Amino acid sequence: MNSNNNMEKQTIQQRRNFLLQSAGGFGAAALQGLFEIDSQKAEAKKKTINPLSAKTPHFPASAKNIIFLFMEGGPSHIDLFDPKPILNKLAGKPLPESFTKPVTAMGEASSPLLASPRKWKQHGEGGLWFSEWLPHIAGCADDIAVLRGCWTNGINHAGGVCQMNTGMPLAGRPSLGSWVTYGLGSENENLPSFVVIKDSKTPVVNGPRNWGAAFMPAVYQGTRLETGKVPIPNLFTPKGILEQQQQNKLQFLNTLNNNHLNSRPQQTELDARILSYELAFRMQSAAPEVVDLSKETEETQKLYGMDQKKTKVFGRNCLLARRLVEKGVRFVQLYHGAGSKWDSHKQMEKKHPALCKGMDQCVAGLLKDLKRKGLLETTLVVWGGEFGRTPMSEGGDGRDHNPTGFSMWMAGGGVKGGQTIGATDELGLYAIEDRMHVHDIHTSILHLMGLDKMKVEFRHKGRPERPTQNEGDFMKKLITG
Amino acid sequence: MKSLSAKFYILSGTLLLGILLFGIPVGMTASVFAEDSSTTKTVKPTKSGKTAASSESKISNKKKLLFFESKVRPILIAKCYECHSDKKQKGDLRLDSLASILHGGESGPAIVQGKPGESLLIESINYDSYEMPPKGKLDKKSIDVLTQWVQSGAYWPNADLTKKVASHKKVTFTEEDRSFWSFQKVVKPAVPKTDQSVWNKNAIDSFISQKLNAEGISPSPLASRETLIRRVYFNLIGLPPTPEQIESFLKDESSDDVAFAKIVDQLLESPHYGERWGRHWLDLVRYAESDGYNQDAFRPTIYHYRDYVVKSFNQDKPYPKFVTEQLAGDETDPNNPEAIAATGYLRHYLYEYNQRDVRTHWQEILNDITDATGDVFLGLGMGCARCHNHKFDPILQKDYFRLQAFFTPILPRDDVPLATPEQLAEYQQKIKIWEEKTANLRKKIDQDLKEPFETLAKKQIGMFPPDIKEIMAKKFEDRTPIEHQYADLVNRQIIGKHKKYLDDLKAGKNKKRDNIRLLYLELDKLNDIKPKDIPMGMSVTDVSRIAPKTFIPGKKKKTEILPGFLTLLSPGTAKIMNVTAPVQSTGRRTALAQWITQPDNRLTTRVITNRIWQFHFGSGLVPTSSDFGHLGDKPSHPELLDWLTTYFVENGWSFKKMHRLILNSRTYRQSSSHPDPPSAELKDPSNRWHWRADIKRLQAEQIRDASLTISGELDTKLGGPSVKAEVPRRSIYVIVKRNIKDPLLGAFDFPGGIKSTSSRNRTTTPTQSLLMINGPWMLNRAAAMAKELFTQKLKVDKAMIQKAYLLAYGRKPTESELKSSFEFLDKQKELSQKKENPELVALTDFCHVLLNSSEFLYLD
Repeated sequence: MNSNNNMEKQTIQQRRNFLLQSAGGFGAAALQGLFEIDSQKAEAKKKTINPLSAKTPHFPASAKNIIFLFMEGGPSHIDLFDPKPILNKLAGKPLPESFTKPVTAMGEASSPLLASPRKWKQHGEGGLWFSEWLPHIAGCADDIAVLRGCWTNGINHAGGVCQMNTGMPLAGRPSLGSWVTYGLGSENENLPSFVVIKDSKTPVVNGPRNWGAAFMPAVYQGTRLETGKVPIPNLFTPKGILEQQQQNKLQFLNTLNNNHLNSRPQQTELDARILSYELAFRMQSAAPEVVDLSKETEETQKLYGMDQKKTKVFGRNCLLARRLVEKGVRFVQLYHGAGSKWDSHKQMEKKHPALCKGMDQCVAGLLKDLKRKGLLETTLVVWGGEFGRTPMSEGGDGRDHNPTGFSMWMAGGGVKGGQTIGATDELGLYAIEDRMHVHDIHTSILHLMGLDKMKVEFRHKGRPERPTQNEGDFMKKLITG
Repeated sequence: MKSLSAKFYILSGTLLLGILLFGIPVGMTASVFAEDSSTTKTVKPTKSGKTAASSESKISNKKKLLFFESKVRPILIAKCYECHSDKKQKGDLRLDSLASILHGGESGPAIVQGKPGESLLIESINYDSYEMPPKGKLDKKSIDVLTQWVQSGAYWPNADLTKKVASHKKVTFTEEDRSFWSFQKVVKPAVPKTDQSVWNKNAIDSFISQKLNAEGISPSPLASRETLIRRVYFNLIGLPPTPEQIESFLKDESSDDVAFAKIVDQLLESPHYGERWGRHWLDLVRYAESDGYNQDAFRPTIYHYRDYVVKSFNQDKPYPKFVTEQLAGDETDPNNPEAIAATGYLRHYLYEYNQRDVRTHWQEILNDITDATGDVFLGLGMGCARCHNHKFDPILQKDYFRLQAFFTPILPRDDVPLATPEQLAEYQQKIKIWEEKTANLRKKIDQDLKEPFETLAKKQIGMFPPDIKEIMAKKFEDRTPIEHQYADLVNRQIIGKHKKYLDDLKAGKNKKRDNIRLLYLELDKLNDIKPKDIPMGMSVTDVSRIAPKTFIPGKKKKTEILPGFLTLLSPGTAKIMNVTAPVQSTGRRTALAQWITQPDNRLTTRVITNRIWQFHFGSGLVPTSSDFGHLGDKPSHPELLDWLTTYFVENGWSFKKMHRLILNSRTYRQSSSHPDPPSAELKDPSNRWHWRADIKRLQAEQIRDASLTISGELDTKLGGPSVKAEVPRRSIYVIVKRNIKDPLLGAFDFPGGIKSTSSRNRTTTPTQSLLMINGPWMLNRAAAMAKELFTQKLKVDKAMIQKAYLLAYGRKPTESELKSSFEFLDKQKELSQKKENPELVALTDFCHVLLNSSEFLYLD
């Protein structure tokens, strides 16, 4: 007990020293005030009042962190991962009678089938199929498990994006990132535990609701990281206020808050409020540091395609994702094509290759970089959109939304690469083998992160709520092959 | 009303859309709102029943016996008994004795003697509701026989009607289910007699102190007047008391009890009371002002519902009236614009503007309304029973759809004027003149728009699945009620396209048809003789007098579910009375409102009583205030809950009377600091026995509104269209979008408006603190506050600091606080010497720190 106390004291001292040295915005003077409540008791309390303190997984996890690469708008699986030779033979004809006609967003169920003039090749030892649109990712084939049997319910972007994030097409449930944060806590309290980065200023479909915590406390929601000088809103002392001025304010605030707290013992929420200012201060130095890429070598930046115009933005985001994961951020979500850019109702042959080009090398760079740094083993990388695209044409040269069958892929975090799991029918319309509903996908992600979908439980209005609403199975083939 | 509103739509802003949809046939786009929608099919059996009536009314008993044995019984045996006799009792129905037939099955009595038109059996064999027998329709002769038999009184030899028919089905509910606390009758208990006479101010205190005594915990002393006035102001009106109000309360020489009671009375008369307490209700009904989904389009007229709620609280509307107006104002009080606005309650579902799967979308809308209604009024997680019988509570899957069946007939309306008949008449008189003057011009515009509008409609309809296209191809009068509901969803998409087309055209983007733009300009010239538009909120009516059938989705066998309440509490189907109002309506929602507001309803009365307690204390006597089932918490003080429930109902369901009772109790007026917290905490860590007042963080709106109040910027205007967050009005009037929350309100747990929220989260995060200390909004409030304090002075003085403390904390600073304040101010002045007004800069910093501090953000 005694030695424990000493150790705690020591840690506090170390941390205080660290903070004093790295004092940026809030500053040293303020900190002294912030730590006036320091004591073993306060430190122990801090653990209980910080809901983001790290938690033990339900079983040994193969993945500690996750990078979810969200291709917003719905990439065409039949042009990227799932070749359909028969489609080209039947091109121009309507969907054969033997197929059940789906309800589609733009009503293209009866439109003629559209050929996929791709050049397909098998890659790696596993012989995974990739089209010529993804030459770089194809080079990582042996790290990748392609899931060809994915399906979802939402036929529109709003429902689809909402479902891939929350499990349900209807709004109102917490996002997967929130559940993971709730279940595992954070390994780095100086940074948000769940970070979202977009590739453009265009808002994503459904907006911030996609990374919202819904009925869970806001502490579990995702934080959007801007890639400019101010990565998190209001991070820095506002213009026109001197640093010393700000430090005096914080010190005075701290005096007021501590006086208030002292006359109200046993009210932990007041402790939490004082702690929140402490955490805010630490974020002030940690967040700018993590977005500062100047320390990355030219070679690394090139690996991500940051030297080329078309891959510069997403390459940078992928590199940021690696840096965040390195710092212990639990859940990183990158949006590519924010605002439904993958949505190719028209001109498939023009839109898709440009999007692939803007993403392919960056993603491959991320996989390679994670691997050489030894991070891929514990980082699960997930690639996919909210749905796929139909074999039927739209407007002659586009494809409609296809929620009934599409591909995603996973790599790292214990996933066995070089394998294809599941299949769609001859035309790529319906998933038919090793079908994975979004609930199965989520359950599998949770499982790889050491979380049992039934044990992650949050009581809301008296009811036990769980991330997949009790549905979904872990796809064992992901680890066994 | 119906015709008025349809016409009105034509006359309002979207003139041409109206004409195209209601007047000139555009074929497929004909809307449900058209006047001839009353020509829906009548029920067949009534007709056949009538023909049977005259010829068969005078047969003797002997003839009746012969008729029964030779004609009726053979049909029953051959066609019905396989499923409805001693072997099987499908739908809990037997047809082998008159008693059983009259008792009926799950859907109610099978026949009404002498009235084939009201007999389910006759409906079913005509395939009008059920389709019986399912293997194939009876031949016409058999149908006539059974119809005649019912018409003639349904003679049955040696019928014994004295025997009570028990349900044939096995009992679904266990004794445990039935004895669960929230399903027991509310019985008013005697107020306990306790010795602590000092503490016993009213009945509430007796119940509370009885429990505290039993647990061996002593209560906290009375809170100070400074604490109490701040507590009760934020609680009742959501704003802090002004220094003058505090001053006068502190100086009031009457007893503590009397002085406080006066404050309570004053606040309950304040129009701001409704703004604060109405917001609690808005949380529950998931109020927001956008569609959700991707587009998240703004709903510019839904604020009429918000204003209705605020007004209702201010008027202390009895709860039954409040409930009835929201569920069925269009049926019960159709000429009252407030009651129409109230039905906005049924419009808070999410809507997707481009969803082609209209069947699923409509079902989701109904589910959303059903879930919310279960949460808000019943305090039960009905949503759990949507897919299966509830796993923990005695709620059947059927019960979910029995509840849904009350809503199945609704049709969303955006065209019902919120005006009295007098206002409407006046409007129509004025618009007539304008109509006459513009007739030619409008006709011309209509003609020019007909072709492009038709093309757009056709293209839009082309995107829907084949079955929906078929519905749209039907003539308006040939559509069934549910088809009207689907068509309405399709029409909304067409209207959207038309609107866009018109907007583009008017903006000069359509060169080809620029002539129409010019015609509109002509039309605009006559605007000065056009009366001002009458507002239209978002409301509902029923689609017709005949309700579309409610089914349990996914079940192979389609059995119609009729409206009903929890089977455990009232097993039969709900009695639906015809509504007399001049509207096309089923009366179903009125029946639901009546049930919810019955004085002896065990659930609903307790649920609302508990909510009132919750909003005063932060937590209900039942903490899970929207779950009174097995998964919820049990009441901490069951007798008190029942006593309060009875009090509420007996006192005219008045919120304000309840407030007076609760607020004047000693329990409410306790201090938040207890003489010996560790010992009490040991026994009751979560303070469920009320041994002290809980400290409470201000809620999002309270933080924003209080900041604006003490900075002197708040515009206290009541009601009206919502405004942007930059406008310094109360937060209840700030636009609420479902996809993006205002940063400040969102950071402090403002609810999302997607699901019913019964109690808000209370989050403390670093990003929240960053927003408070670095964000421009709070900095601006501090600057304004400082300016207001500083006025014409040259130097910061003691009075300013005292006032700032009074404004932010509701109390004056102590000597040592004054000292440290001036120390801080001096430091800041020193640093700001180069700035224009160092005194003001320092004072701004001081105010900003106060606005960031716990004492401002928390209530004792």
